[in-house]
Amino acid sequence: MNKKPKFKMSAMAKREERWGLIFVAAPAIGFVLFMAWPIIFAILTSLTKWNGSKGFAGMMSKYCGLDNYVKLFQDTKFWKTVLTTVIYLIGIPVGMILGLILAMGMNRKIPGVRVLRTMYYVPVISSLVAVSILWAWVYNYDYGLLNVIIKTLTGHHGPNWLGDEILIKVSMIIFMVWKGLGTSIILYLAGLQNIPRSYYEAAMVDGANGWQKFKNITLPLLSPVTFYILVTTLIGGFQVFVEVQVMTNKGGIGYSAATIVYYLYEKAFESYQLGYASAISLVLAVIVFIITALNFKVQKHWVKTID
Amino acid sequence: MKKVLSLLLVAAMVIGILAACGGKEAAETPAEENKQEETVGAKIEVKEEALNDVKVEGDFTGQDIRVFIFAQEHEKTVYQSLIDKFTAQTGANVTFEVTTSDEYGQKLLAYKAAEDMPDVFYVGPEAVAANVNDGYLLPLDDYVDAAVVNNLWGTVASAYRYDGKTAGNGQGSLYALPKDLSTFAFAYNKDIFDAAGVAYPDPANPYTWDEFVEVCKKLTIDKDGDGEIDQWGCANALQWALDAFIYTNGGHFLNEDYTKVVIDGQPEFVDAFQFFADLTCKYGVTPTVEQDTALGGYQRWLDGQIGFYACGTWDVGAFMDKNTFPYQWGLCGWPTGKTGVSMTRNGSVGFAVSKDSKVPEAAAKLITLFSTDLEGQRVLSGETTGASLQIPNIMDYAKGDFKAKIADGTIPYGDNVDVIFNYIEGTDKYRGLFVETNYTYNADWWSEFLSGGYEYVLKGEKTAAEYCHEVQPAMQAALDNAIELQKAAEN
Repeated sequence: MNKKPKFKMSAMAKREERWGLIFVAAPAIGFVLFMAWPIIFAILTSLTKWNGSKGFAGMMSKYCGLDNYVKLFQDTKFWKTVLTTVIYLIGIPVGMILGLILAMGMNRKIPGVRVLRTMYYVPVISSLVAVSILWAWVYNYDYGLLNVIIKTLTGHHGPNWLGDEILIKVSMIIFMVWKGLGTSIILYLAGLQNIPRSYYEAAMVDGANGWQKFKNITLPLLSPVTFYILVTTLIGGFQVFVEVQVMTNKGGIGYSAATIVYYLYEKAFESYQLGYASAISLVLAVIVFIITALNFKVQKHWVKTID
Repeated sequence: MKKVLSLLLVAAMVIGILAACGGKEAAETPAEENKQEETVGAKIEVKEEALNDVKVEGDFTGQDIRVFIFAQEHEKTVYQSLIDKFTAQTGANVTFEVTTSDEYGQKLLAYKAAEDMPDVFYVGPEAVAANVNDGYLLPLDDYVDAAVVNNLWGTVASAYRYDGKTAGNGQGSLYALPKDLSTFAFAYNKDIFDAAGVAYPDPANPYTWDEFVEVCKKLTIDKDGDGEIDQWGCANALQWALDAFIYTNGGHFLNEDYTKVVIDGQPEFVDAFQFFADLTCKYGVTPTVEQDTALGGYQRWLDGQIGFYACGTWDVGAFMDKNTFPYQWGLCGWPTGKTGVSMTRNGSVGFAVSKDSKVPEAAAKLITLFSTDLEGQRVLSGETTGASLQIPNIMDYAKGDFKAKIADGTIPYGDNVDVIFNYIEGTDKYRGLFVETNYTYNADWWSEFLSGGYEYVLKGEKTAAEYCHEVQPAMQAALDNAIELQKAAEN
């Protein structure tokens, strides 16, 4: 019978191994404590009617099986927030198109282009709460900038941007596009600057016009950036909360501006239904996972690289 | 192409910059509008010497008490001073943690989840049953003198009692001592009445609804002649003011045992809600829904645009501060519906002791000091600061010295303080009550009412009857869920 040859480690190797394990342990423990356990805890919580009392034991004593999920799928208010969240996603392609146009503009040698780039990025680095308050005032019915401009130009009073079920969604989308534009521009700019000039020169030699160059070179070679922006903004789009909390009164007229995460927040921290809120969060996680997976699945058909 | 792109960029930039500038000057007030319970404007200074005479009995040497509450700065100063007296005289150690009212609920939830409850914390009447069921509250019967309890307002002492079945009906053990008892009275701007040549309301005889509409019509005017109304008879935030119309008309949201929502087809409720909406959409004596979203009623009242507005007991300090509200004002009753009795909501938050506290006696002594120490009450009710934030918890003092000091001007107050006392004590013409959310496990059913699109009724695009019919099923589902959660918590 073959015996495994015994491998004797030197003292130094042992010491190195120990240190190696210690170094690996830090992220591993971090993962277990801050990622794995919270996920497991959320799953367990979603199976209870826990209101936060009496710690873990208190939670498990309120086990209710899949009740929360059954209720959630019958909860019309929840589905309303899902629909609103999906409607807000309209802002993503709009923001990407605008971002691309502006990035192409800024990729040229225009006087002051650096200043423009910086200014477009300011909303991205500004506090979301602060800019949400600011935009709530822009949309103000009587005193807002938008309605003042409308009144000045047309002589008529502008609409109630945050007081109408449809307009409030439009207003939120405009705000989200404005807020996210800087990121798209910066990413597209980086993408544009990575496209070799020789491609355009070759196309020019072949007699391609501007549109043909854009369609056949710029757009395909920017597709990895487009894909990255799409995936990250979609994930972010499903997590919209702060702007709804700040800009609307309790989710807006008829709850028309409330998103999934806003509803989750209300359930968890206003009526203390932590079990139900956890169920919402897990359903949200599944939705985001499916959409992201779909994105990755479909990307091979349209994302092109230089290679 | 380059030029077009440049133009696009410049145009977009200009809009962006304008947006940024436009918001700046206006972004100073909105946060205040949703927080009527916070004093606006009045800067209140508390002098330490005001609490020099505080005396505490008992020896709690070495005992550690952890206190967790929300408070504004001046309240914090008062309670900190009381704590200093308490620790100096009893030998106890007190850790005092203060947060904002917005964050309080979440932090307390975290303490509950972590099983790390403070010895002393706030609880409202609406949360007594749930907290007792979850085993968080110590019954105070054995720790607080009967004389102290007997000198509290009956309304508030009842609100913190719970017999294991229904909270707030005056039966069972006492679970908290009040931080305050507030009431949501009605105020009027005397300057506006004078300018319109209208007689002041008579606090002894609150208006009927019809009379109220007529007075409001006289106060609703276009002052600057630009064709747009810029002064209104009244302004009502539905979430705070609707009760005053529903209850006076004999209406109610729930049935007697708080298990069914009964607004659909209930004439008393529907008529009251319709009248409330008609003030806006039919009579035009309040700002429109659109105008209200632009600038809330509270801000318009402070700006002198409103004849009648709600006045919580906590508002008095701000309304008497000339920098905040440079007008003369007085108190009156909410207009009366079918019952002929003017009604409004009372409110309270109380100091409770954790059932797990290792120092219950010391903690109970401390909350007695917070709630009923005469010197502390003198500060909070405005005798020593000149800004009244609450009616004193001590009934003897409230009815005696406190009223006398208002009469002689030591405590600045609007006219007719008796209106507040009437709501608190109840008379044949006045009654204050705790709203129905106090008696259910949570307020989700009420949230459904608020998020169902009631604004369409105020706009006149839907009748109150239609809205009640539409929203009742969602409210009932939320109430059923609350009952289910309550049962789960009790098991």
